[in-house]
Amino acid sequence: MGIQIGKKTYTNRVKSGIEDPFMRQAVSSAQERLKDGRIQSEKGLGNWEEWRSLGEEIRRHTLDNLDYYLEQLSEQVEKRGGNVFFARTADEANHYINRIIQEKNGKKVVKAKSMVTEEIGLNDVLEKEGVEVVETDLGEWILQLDDDPPSHIVAPALHKDRERIREVFADKKGYLGTNHPEELTQFAREQLRKDFLSADIGITGCNFAVAESGTITLVTNEGNGRLTTSLPDTHIAVMGMERIVPTWEELDILVSLLTRAAVGQKLTSYITSITGTRLKGEIDGPSEFHLVIVDNGRSNILGTEFQSALHCIRCAACINVCPVYRHIGGHAYGSIYPGPIGAVITPLLDGYEDHHELPYASSLCAACTEACPVKIPLHELLIRHREIIVEKEDQAPISEKIIMNSFAKWASTPAAYKLSTKIARPLLKPWSKEEKVTNGPGPLKGWTDSRDFPTPSKQSFRSWYKTRQKGSD
Amino acid sequence: MMKVSLFITCLCDMFHPNIGKDTVEVLERFGCDVDFPEAQTCCGQPAFNSGYLRQSKKAMKQMIRSFEHAHYIVGPSGSCVSMLKEYPQIFVGDKEWEEKAKEFAEKVYELTQFLVDVLKVTNVGSNFKGTVTYHPSCHMTRILGVKDAPVILLQNIKGVDLIELPKKENCCGFGGTFAIKNAAISSEMAAEKSQHISETKAEYLVGGDMACLMNIGGMMSREGKNVKVIHIAEILNCR
Amino acid sequence: MAIQHRESFLNNVAAKLNRPRKKSAVTKPIWRKQPQWDVLKGCTQEQLIQVLEKQCKVIHTSFKRTNKNTLANVLYETILEYGGKSIITAEDERNDLYGLPTFFDRLGEEKIDIHVWNSGKGEENVIFAEQANIGITFSDMTLAESGTVTLFNDKNNSRSISLLPKHYIAIIPKETIVPRMSQATKTIHDLHEAGHKIASSISFITGPSNSADIELNLVVGVHGPIKATYIVVE
Repeated sequence: MGIQIGKKTYTNRVKSGIEDPFMRQAVSSAQERLKDGRIQSEKGLGNWEEWRSLGEEIRRHTLDNLDYYLEQLSEQVEKRGGNVFFARTADEANHYINRIIQEKNGKKVVKAKSMVTEEIGLNDVLEKEGVEVVETDLGEWILQLDDDPPSHIVAPALHKDRERIREVFADKKGYLGTNHPEELTQFAREQLRKDFLSADIGITGCNFAVAESGTITLVTNEGNGRLTTSLPDTHIAVMGMERIVPTWEELDILVSLLTRAAVGQKLTSYITSITGTRLKGEIDGPSEFHLVIVDNGRSNILGTEFQSALHCIRCAACINVCPVYRHIGGHAYGSIYPGPIGAVITPLLDGYEDHHELPYASSLCAACTEACPVKIPLHELLIRHREIIVEKEDQAPISEKIIMNSFAKWASTPAAYKLSTKIARPLLKPWSKEEKVTNGPGPLKGWTDSRDFPTPSKQSFRSWYKTRQKGSD
Repeated sequence: MMKVSLFITCLCDMFHPNIGKDTVEVLERFGCDVDFPEAQTCCGQPAFNSGYLRQSKKAMKQMIRSFEHAHYIVGPSGSCVSMLKEYPQIFVGDKEWEEKAKEFAEKVYELTQFLVDVLKVTNVGSNFKGTVTYHPSCHMTRILGVKDAPVILLQNIKGVDLIELPKKENCCGFGGTFAIKNAAISSEMAAEKSQHISETKAEYLVGGDMACLMNIGGMMSREGKNVKVIHIAEILNCR
Repeated sequence: MAIQHRESFLNNVAAKLNRPRKKSAVTKPIWRKQPQWDVLKGCTQEQLIQVLEKQCKVIHTSFKRTNKNTLANVLYETILEYGGKSIITAEDERNDLYGLPTFFDRLGEEKIDIHVWNSGKGEENVIFAEQANIGITFSDMTLAESGTVTLFNDKNNSRSISLLPKHYIAIIPKETIVPRMSQATKTIHDLHEAGHKIASSISFITGPSNSADIELNLVVGVHGPIKATYIVVE
């Protein structure tokens, strides 16, 4: 799969989203609950703004010294008997992981939820080689059975209702029960427990690697992260190269920000910190450990005006407050990374060509920027993207360019501006009725398709002001 | 006497001159000497937010030039004012304009912010009567940081029965060119806002940003709703 | 194997950051704001226990309090609540201190199958744990704010014990309770700096496993334990 999902045009994706009432209801109520949970849990920390500043400072320092911390991390992993592979591209990462599995003659992989493995399209590669890959996060498992991409980075199956999930379980796994979430979940536990016990390889992502000790940390609720790192004999962790903290002290801060911002929990049920292979005398845990550190376009963001986008800790707080996401849903973004952060990083990682609409899928209301626990100025980065699309990529429509060039002349020439205050009303007259425009021309059409537009006033303010001055003279 | 230069905003200038009149009169009532620099045009936001930086800077320079002699610059729009406040950041490294942009931005206030923070007025003594719900616009609250001033002013007007707008922090869907480029999404957002306004059963929707009000009002007008949409300056100047 | 493709990868990172590789030690700055130390600052141990008890309600975990003398009774009662049957527990030096071996003998007499992890027996341990009804471990550090028990897993206190059985019981010595995660990670950081080898698996466990992946409905009990009890011991 990779970053891009589906081949439909942006307009069609948006249309499908808007025309899906169940999805919109689900997203809307999920946003409400996740946002309320976040705000409640932030209050519990005392000074949330100080926490955000600390989070931002840590991320900035770490990214500024990324080569140093990655080197330290790899040294420490090696010291604890692990292997580290630095992958510049998705292909390199997939190739390495596949080679490890083939060398071990691995038949079955259990996976804990990982966005970066979605990004590099790992499952497809492994399945083509005949390896059975089982997603063990409940949401991811549902999607895997239904062959459907995630629509949210924390709650991937948000767009599916319980009845659809029941159908999927019945069709694909012979499930005979009801659509109660408890019963569906119990079924998943029973099914997946067998997979955990029979898998040769466990693959996880990595929420944060700790450079000082070579530790990778997984933040989960279901326990599948622990099972994946305890039962199979080989553990492969895949991390985006920016998912690293200097020491355990910073791990504390970022985990605290993540769990609160993501789901409003003080901590999730399991924060699992794995250092290398199992030690002498230990029975569970892997005898072989591989850490795959993935660039896949991230280094191109370093040193640019977008570097702060790499501060992202994948909490989805921005997604959970975004009004655009609420109305169109995750799939409309056409990327495994939806919402404001998706609109920022998708063009950076996968290019503008397929994703140049995304930076415009925002009213710039800044709810995302306000919610971000590490203070990424998301709405400002969207404007930076627009500047690049206009200036460098040259992907803006010609009509828009003409309008904006005229705008510049108009707004920098007081006489032209003044003239427009006089002629705007007569110009719009053919479309005006009872002081409103209901069927506007050109660019106004999109507006007036659903909303009325006011007609310019008979007298502008500046003209009124002039007469008032004269009167008082 | 405090000298104030009015920043009318292009939208109010052309479409809603009455809001400019109310703004002038309110400021005068509280002892300001208001002038209107005629060379002012648009803050540049439509171009800036669409990625047309070069083009937007032309508007911004015109604005800085127009207000060179101003003491205070006050405008009846949180969004346009927040744009002016961003000029210094935009002209960073520009030898000719960086300092000017800084001086300019320091003088700029949104109307309610100016009344409460500078003039220390919290009760304007308006004669308005009616049930009112207030939409706190995104740029006003999140970018400019003006959250309380308009609410304090409204609460202190005797005849105002202020009803809290459900999910008031939600964007109305205006977003400048977003309303055109992504009209379908924008209109869903406006419809949602309209729905929340209806839930309050208020007679009046009040806001501090004409652009948002034009969007929400346009939706409610199309839906045939009777809610009256007014700018906060109109309430403050109701005698 | 070991480390592959590192140099070109990191050289590229440095180049993108517009500077040469940072080879010598980078000094971590003193962070300007450190609000983490203000959380539950100055609380007595008793106050921390109260915070923990309150948090247990949030995380769907039973909270019990006892002392060393009555621990066996409270454990027994909890085991019966969970339906008895079979139990796996860690080979922990604290077992003796808390008088548990005698208690385990008593369980054995009552036909409750008790298995103390024995690294000499290899896979057999895991197979037992997977079938066990209850897992019991001590907490090494307990975080009051979040209601979290921290386990430094090793060959005696294995990962599976707190993970595979349907029910989990954590014995929490009162003195292991600290305000929040900051104290635990500071301890780990200090141990690491002092040259101690940190555990291959450190588990921060906060109540039973759960998921909200179906319509955001919280379901308690997914892949890990379905129910959990914390017993604070004075």
